[in-house]
Amino acid sequence: MADKPRLKLPKEAKKGDIIEIKTLVQHPMETGLRKDASGNAIPRKIINKFSATFNGAPLFSAELEPAVAANPYLQFTAKVDQGGTFRFTWVDDDGTVTTAEETIAVT
Amino acid sequence: MSRISRRDAVLMGASVTLYLSVADGGAALATPPEAEAEIAKFTGGKPAQDGKIAIDLPEIAENGNTIPLAITVNLPMSADSYVSDILVVADGNPNPGIAKFHLTPLSGRAEVGTRIRLAATENVIVVAKTSDGKLYSDRKQVKVTIGGCGG
Amino acid sequence: MQRGLFVGPAAIALLAFTTLALPRLAATAPDPGAAPAPLATGDASARPWKRYTGWPTRDSARFNTLANPNVSPPAPKEPRKLTKPLAGDPAIGAKLVADRTRGGSCLACHVMGQAGNADMPGNVGPDLSEIGNAGLDDETLFNFVNDARVYNAESVMPPWGTNGLFNDAEIGHIVAFLKTLKSPAVFPTSLDDPSKRPPPVETRDNLDDMVNPGLWTIEKAQQLWSARGPNGSSCAGCHGQAAERFKTWAVGMPKWEPRLDKVLGIEEFVYRHAKATTGFDWLMQSDENTAMAVYLRFLANGQEMHVDVTSPEAKEAYERGRALTATKVGQLNFSCLDCHDPKRGGLKWIRGQWLGEQRGQLDHFPTWRTSQQAIWDIRKRFEWCNVAVWANELPPDAKEYGDLELYLASVNAGLKLNVPGIRH
Repeated sequence: MADKPRLKLPKEAKKGDIIEIKTLVQHPMETGLRKDASGNAIPRKIINKFSATFNGAPLFSAELEPAVAANPYLQFTAKVDQGGTFRFTWVDDDGTVTTAEETIAVT
Repeated sequence: MSRISRRDAVLMGASVTLYLSVADGGAALATPPEAEAEIAKFTGGKPAQDGKIAIDLPEIAENGNTIPLAITVNLPMSADSYVSDILVVADGNPNPGIAKFHLTPLSGRAEVGTRIRLAATENVIVVAKTSDGKLYSDRKQVKVTIGGCGG
Repeated sequence: MQRGLFVGPAAIALLAFTTLALPRLAATAPDPGAAPAPLATGDASARPWKRYTGWPTRDSARFNTLANPNVSPPAPKEPRKLTKPLAGDPAIGAKLVADRTRGGSCLACHVMGQAGNADMPGNVGPDLSEIGNAGLDDETLFNFVNDARVYNAESVMPPWGTNGLFNDAEIGHIVAFLKTLKSPAVFPTSLDDPSKRPPPVETRDNLDDMVNPGLWTIEKAQQLWSARGPNGSSCAGCHGQAAERFKTWAVGMPKWEPRLDKVLGIEEFVYRHAKATTGFDWLMQSDENTAMAVYLRFLANGQEMHVDVTSPEAKEAYERGRALTATKVGQLNFSCLDCHDPKRGGLKWIRGQWLGEQRGQLDHFPTWRTSQQAIWDIRKRFEWCNVAVWANELPPDAKEYGDLELYLASVNAGLKLNVPGIRH
């Protein structure tokens, strides 16, 4: 992955708020259906799985296919009753695992 | 430009070969068997109800590379009953699958967004499953623009 | 290829500049009144110029380019006489009018009844759905398709026959098909009807990095800004506080550059100035060049474009640029104005794509193109327009593109820079 994942979520929230989380990683999501200039198939290479946890508990996950656009973007919600840490994980076809974390304060 | 109804077009019957395709041109494309199979895998073959799902997709897209998709399922997200899984497939792509989302009561709302690829004008089909086994489905067609200049 | 040499007449001044003026410049903004920025000479893009990978590979050398506008076959003086009846097959014609490998097909510009299932035809040209009722004979229809200029010198329709896009037999099939068109089109959906299709409105936030992948250029440029080149110096060495110093610089580009005797755009400036000062080899269309060119405009975002066309040389360049917008190029024989002047194709549909007018086409460049999954500067966009009308493109540093960019910037004067954009 070319650069670190981009995350967008509030730094703080009130107890019981439902917050919106946006994530994006730079990745070509190569479908495996394209050919290079000399006619050879370009092998498939996509982010096939994403997961998000909050304070270790599963929050949201996704299984992605090549029909998800390049630089896969995911938007989802979380109901926060306490402060803590979101942890995000992206899994590439080649086994590479990328992670990112973000904390939120809840009052 | 003057306009005639589709019924008239069919009735006129002139240039028959050219009209054949328009008679059903506005109807939804048939769901190919692969997309059906993908949905059946998800539903276990059980029928899904209409309603509860809002699919936010543009009616028309200038190209199929990065089409914003947002899905809202209007059902409660409580520990007892929540939207646990959402399947997204398309019926005109090389492979029908687009994504499967897994939600939890922690999600608060059943709302997800992503950006998808569509190979042509086709239907995006969303199926939602609740933790207590209810199924809902909806679909929306996106018109993917044909380029002007050709190759 | 010669690169890295200082411009001849100014070389002495530049030497003085580099040895004496640098410390002073470090504390001043880029300023038209200050010593001119050192510029390397030679080619600012790769030579021999090679077309981008993945672009159509056809060679259109038999047709006009913006640099060589006198090679395409001339328009016939009078209609061709048909010596024998056309024996066209309307079914073959129906396929040919929708054949996108022949310059986009007739449907790109014409509604034609149910041809191509009336799937998003364009409306640059007249609706031909009832042409079969018009009582036109074979010879007239043949000549319209072969080369419409025999009837209307101002026609924007490609001379399909004269320029070898369709042969006589194929035109015969098309004529046979046209004669079957006798009823208005029935569109599958209202979006297929070009008179009802809503023009695209760009609402994405192009400066949100969750939205615009082209924003990678900003981070990259910020790193490059402080990177030391082969000469040991960096951009930051002379230009501290870039955000402050370059708040307006980009709005005056491109500009006439007397030392080069051509119009200099930001991309070409980035190559020549970085080469002369840092030794970096950021040729036009390299990632580094594009990143810096985006960044220099990004710093001036929100400022109104206003290029200087007051000097006699700049005025001449502007006039040349204006003339280039009317220059017919390529096998399809299109000028810029044919597609982008509202009196012609502008603000109409070419198949499912909206043709914008010239104003509004520059303020967001370089722009992320979702169709290409890449960020393109305006020169690459010019090159693509050329190739799309089946003309050979020029190298990005061609002086003709400089003139064209200056003219386009004048047409866009007053619009606020908003870079990098995001578009189809």
